[in-house]
Amino acid sequence: MLRPRKKRDMGGIPTSSMSDVAFLLLIFFLSTTKFDMKYGLGLVLPAPSTEETVKVRLKEDNLTRVMIDREGRIAVNDDIVPFEEVRDKIRSLVKDNPDMVISLKTDRQSNYNNMIIVLDQLRLAGAEKINLSTN
Amino acid sequence: MAKIKKAARPQAEIPTASMSDIAFLLLIFFIVSTVFVKGKVIKVALPRAESIDKIPRSHAATLYVDRAGNITIDDYSIQIPQIENVMIKKLYEDFNLITCFRTDREVSYGVMADIMNQLRKANALRVSFEAKRKL
Repeated sequence: MLRPRKKRDMGGIPTSSMSDVAFLLLIFFLSTTKFDMKYGLGLVLPAPSTEETVKVRLKEDNLTRVMIDREGRIAVNDDIVPFEEVRDKIRSLVKDNPDMVISLKTDRQSNYNNMIIVLDQLRLAGAEKINLSTN
Repeated sequence: MAKIKKAARPQAEIPTASMSDIAFLLLIFFIVSTVFVKGKVIKVALPRAESIDKIPRSHAATLYVDRAGNITIDDYSIQIPQIENVMIKKLYEDFNLITCFRTDREVSYGVMADIMNQLRKANALRVSFEAKRKL
């Protein structure tokens, strides 16, 4: 006797939610990827001094000397100024004379960090003409 | 009167079967193209500053100076007197080169002054002191 065989159920993997899974992973990677950005304090160094370069003599009034010693003490025009007051002092100087050149002189033994935090303050105070030097 | 049956309009449908393919393609693209920043061998504790700008990566040449004063550029350890020649070569390749200092904050400023003198000699005048955003 012949009995019609029951058709076997084809086992299938449901693929309808595959795109959901893929997009979930995609969004996860998109949102967690962090691009490595570089941030810094930009500055343009003066050109090397050769015989051809003309030395520009700055007027004393147009020059502010900021000095950092090896202990990290800061002096503005030979007066020791606490770090917190540097910005306001420089801001008022730059405001009075927009041509003001700030000469930042750092002791060779001083920490690089001291120079950077003062340079940061100078920039925040609106100083545009900054010159770096050392002893 | 016999009614004329309107032809059933074909239903417009967006085929979604290949959606997962697209998603996976994007996913695989991002996975493959992501480059993880390698754990830098040179340990540098960057200073923190507020007035920081973004440095265009395409023109940046990063100069590492670690706490011990070792100078590294492009994975090559170099001495201060060699910097001039290296930078001349780099400047030749990219006129708009910006030298990024990734300097440890504990480094003494004298090292940095010497490096900057070398940069001036090489005419690589655009520099940037890399810093982290102040919290």
